[in-house]
Amino acid sequence: MKKMKKPFALLMATLLAASTLAACGDNAETPEGTEQPADSGQQGEAETTPAPEEDGGAEEAASYIYKDSVSQLCTNWNPHTYQTNDDAYLMNGALTISQLYTTVYNDELHPVDGLEPYAGYVIVPEMAADFPTDVTEAVKAEHPEFGIPESATEGYAWTVPLRDDLKWDNGTVINAETFVESFKRLLDPKLINYRAADAYDGTYAIANAMEYSLSGQPAFKSFGEMGTTYADYIAEGHTDDEVYVDMNGFWGVTAATKYGFAPITDDTMVRDPAVEEGEDEDYVSAKYLYDNYLAAGQPYEPYAADYLGIVEYPYEAGYSYDNVGLYASGENELTFVFKNAFDGYYLMMYAMGTTWLVDPELYDSCLSEQETASGSVWSSTYCTSVETSRSYGPYKLSAYQTDKSMHLVRNENWFGYTDGNHKYVDPEDHETYDMWQTTEIDVQQIAEPTTNKTMFLAGQLMGYALQAEDFDQYRNSEYCYSTPAETVFFLILNGYKNVIEDREQAADFDQATTDIETITLNSFRRAAAVTFDRELMAATVSPARSGGYGLVGSVYIYDPESGATYRDTDQAKRALCKFYSVDESQYASLDEAADSITGYDPETAKELYTQAYNEALEAGYITDADGDGVCDQTITITYAISQDSDFMTKTIDFMNDSFDKATEGTPLYQKIRIVKSAPLGNDWSDQLRDGLVDTCLAGWTGSRMDPFGLTDTWTNSRSAYDAQWFDPSTVSMTVNVDGQDLTTTLDEWSKGLNGTMISIDGQDYNFGYGMVDTEVRLDILAEFESTLMGVYDYIPILQDGGMSLLSQQVYYVVEDYSPVMGRGGIQYMKYNYSESEWDEYVQSQNGQLQY
Amino acid sequence: MLKYTLQRILYMIFVFLIIVFMCFVLIRMLPQPLLPPNDPHTQVIEMRREALGYNEPYIVQFGLFLKNVVTKFDWGYSEKLYFGQEVWSIFIQKLPASMIVNLYSIVLSIPIGIALGIFAALKKNTWIDYTLSTLTMVVISVPSFVYALVVQYIFCYKLQLFPFLMKSGTDWFSWPMFVSVVPAVMSLSFGVIAGFTRTTRAELTEVLTSEFMLLARTKGLTKAQATIRHALRNCFVVIVPAIFGEFIGILGGSLIIERIFSIPGVGGLTLNAIHGLDYNIFILTTCFYTAIGLMASLVVDISYGFIDPRIRMGAKK
Repeated sequence: MKKMKKPFALLMATLLAASTLAACGDNAETPEGTEQPADSGQQGEAETTPAPEEDGGAEEAASYIYKDSVSQLCTNWNPHTYQTNDDAYLMNGALTISQLYTTVYNDELHPVDGLEPYAGYVIVPEMAADFPTDVTEAVKAEHPEFGIPESATEGYAWTVPLRDDLKWDNGTVINAETFVESFKRLLDPKLINYRAADAYDGTYAIANAMEYSLSGQPAFKSFGEMGTTYADYIAEGHTDDEVYVDMNGFWGVTAATKYGFAPITDDTMVRDPAVEEGEDEDYVSAKYLYDNYLAAGQPYEPYAADYLGIVEYPYEAGYSYDNVGLYASGENELTFVFKNAFDGYYLMMYAMGTTWLVDPELYDSCLSEQETASGSVWSSTYCTSVETSRSYGPYKLSAYQTDKSMHLVRNENWFGYTDGNHKYVDPEDHETYDMWQTTEIDVQQIAEPTTNKTMFLAGQLMGYALQAEDFDQYRNSEYCYSTPAETVFFLILNGYKNVIEDREQAADFDQATTDIETITLNSFRRAAAVTFDRELMAATVSPARSGGYGLVGSVYIYDPESGATYRDTDQAKRALCKFYSVDESQYASLDEAADSITGYDPETAKELYTQAYNEALEAGYITDADGDGVCDQTITITYAISQDSDFMTKTIDFMNDSFDKATEGTPLYQKIRIVKSAPLGNDWSDQLRDGLVDTCLAGWTGSRMDPFGLTDTWTNSRSAYDAQWFDPSTVSMTVNVDGQDLTTTLDEWSKGLNGTMISIDGQDYNFGYGMVDTEVRLDILAEFESTLMGVYDYIPILQDGGMSLLSQQVYYVVEDYSPVMGRGGIQYMKYNYSESEWDEYVQSQNGQLQY
Repeated sequence: MLKYTLQRILYMIFVFLIIVFMCFVLIRMLPQPLLPPNDPHTQVIEMRREALGYNEPYIVQFGLFLKNVVTKFDWGYSEKLYFGQEVWSIFIQKLPASMIVNLYSIVLSIPIGIALGIFAALKKNTWIDYTLSTLTMVVISVPSFVYALVVQYIFCYKLQLFPFLMKSGTDWFSWPMFVSVVPAVMSLSFGVIAGFTRTTRAELTEVLTSEFMLLARTKGLTKAQATIRHALRNCFVVIVPAIFGEFIGILGGSLIIERIFSIPGVGGLTLNAIHGLDYNIFILTTCFYTAIGLMASLVVDISYGFIDPRIRMGAKK
């Protein structure tokens, strides 16, 4: 027995080590300079919140913690360098930032004529002391360096008075100079900040911001911009070495090409990430692209003026910030000078967005320079920890642990808590309340939906986004909220006849039993458009979504001033009535006619399928050898899947059932089958564009405030799924503008809607925002949508959306969803229980809540 | 032995440099993610890549990388996942969480696993052995994330004995931290216990039937004495390398367990660095794990000599 002592002692010592390790040390150790939250979602720890008292005076002492979860916690919320939505968490929720102007509900404190309270919104000054003043004339006269057009009289230059009580969370004053210094750092050429492009490029660019930020950098200038051609340029005595291909713009190749362009003599092969490794053209060079596509006689020669050009240094090195159109015109007054003219919503909510505000002193202390193989590059740790963060919004960061959690507490230096402006009138009791009842925000990184769900049911999270398996149980819960999204998923139908014919000629294709050509018949595609009961399909395969009827989704707002959505306009409703053959005169009103649309018409479908059968028989796509009036072949439609899933199976099963119901009694009964492709990964869209697969549910997401911008996705060959068999420059469309019928092609209409000057019958037109009456733009968009749907390449099926449960601890002041206001955000969220009351309630439910 | 060890260390450095160089080049050859056509950020990205020297020849970049690491222990800055932050500090921040969970798991599971293995071997071909062997096979066959979900549901949700997630903060050895990692430790331990049980049982069963065990018994040793002095020591030739392997696993973390229990560890760091094309993080983690792997194999090889005198390499030749 004595001999057993050693191993036994060793075993015991090892086992005891665990408890010793656990016992030694205490919880005092925290990250350097980082405070720990009172509660980070742990159970079993006592709350630090004092218990509420019965009288109203206890309200101030109560604690209300918004407990959120994210699948990936932000790692870099530096407003100059962040790149992902995860990193924008604090900015998107306006938690640690404020803007010059913000939107609030049109409650009794902010009434809007003609609108019921909470039916709309109003723009109010936030960090600004008042609304902006147009100073275009004065600035144009005093500052020619900003390049305001001579003819311009308004909309380019604006002054904004700032509040005089703006502070950082540490009490340091924010004034106009802070804004200017922040903007200067955003654009600083040596820092190469990712978000600089937001300020110097695009519609809302600040005057000369690009010149300052890109000073000393090379830029591509196309022959089109130069007003010349390749031939003329060479004829002037230049060599091919001086001619460049814009490889990024033309071919989407960015990697390993300096700045995205290279000389046409450069045969360095670079990887094209859009092409699968091992496939044709997985590597291309500038020389290859020129020789095979852009040179004379090659297929893309017409585009040579856009993608061939020269490289120059248009922005002089050392360009002074004094020429940039954002400056302090007073201690608390900012002047903005834009490259374009704006007013109203777009001016205050977009062009004057100031998420780039930083504390210059702290910012500079976070910069560091690294040596690199080509010189040096600057990095910053600003906004990557509690110590390197500054807040100027309602909350400030109090604890942060990378990839784990963060905690926010009220920023008592935020003006909004004391300025008397951040109040609202409750629509139920008509009492006035302060916004931002939440006292703390705790965010945990939780990647697994299962963990999210159980924590939500245990009362430890404020919300839970329903997963497919949850819908049956929770979709009718009073705590379940549905939120529409931008995307409409449409069924794309292959129309690439040449490729389809080639596929039928393949050795392994059995034409006696299978047909894939009938899908290209217009009658077949029209039948397919009325085959699916969209609401039933949504309920069956994806309950968070709803039926989709038009190509433009239900949340797109055409008039930001009123928040009116495109789908609610008469033009949009008429477009749908026209497409679905609904006779408006048969209904009491247009609304009623539009509401009657289900997109499901089995009787019409049967007629059209019979017509398709006859046409296919005549065309020789299918046969009826025994003359029994039944198609010999199965019309097989290959559905492009990136990877297999239950959703795919359910979707395809539903569609096949729908085909059977719609073809019952016709020669195509049970003769139409959708089959899954092999898993195609990211290649599914290319396969679809190339006609190698036949269908897919897909969609695009555009800017919620710009339904007109969506037209570009259907007419731009780089995005359109049907670019190989549908040419929008050959389809004409007529719109009556001011009593005159104007006819031009779809792609021209799209350009016109998006601000490009187009020529119709020798006259120039620009149908961009602010250039013509909004009604004209709506007429064009509706006609465009109707015309495009009439091609039947895209059949709208599902409107995207999500469903989530909201904790019983809180409720929304306004439950109805608004595309602009959502449901009001945290500032309008009210609590049914304080933290201590909530704990008691959850315990009384045995820690398992019922929803 | 010394000569052999020095030789192995030299080989190790050589292999290490080859692996790191290959990884250095391969990660840079991966295609950049696509941005929408005409996205203005493309230009900024290209400008930054140019400034970072990513368009220079790989060998030039590798030379600078080696110079910075050797002369300044500078592993560079993260460009994607943790923009602007030093990759070494990120790695060091995340290592303790992985280590603590895995350490608790090993401290708990190795003794239990070995003890159960010994017990099963001593009770060979009895119902106890059959039960343990069957359970071992079942437990090994089920992946650890299944245990994680079951443990979380039963112990955290239904019984409310533990928190759902690992506690925030860096008080690694505090009692609340220990309690918060118990579910993760339990989830990790089932498989390790089963693995050691099976290995120990198999080895010990074989050794117990050896002729030298018969000799030991005929010399008058009790069964316990013979088992501990002779049989177990022979078994350790197999078990000790397995223990070393587990310790290397400590540093690697567990991707799934870390996801489920929100453990801010290194489990997914390398994978995320590849997906995000964060070169510096990838190279640091590659260097770290390559070095650890090579050193561990050296230690294991040398440890054979200490455990079993028959395997002393080149001794006294």
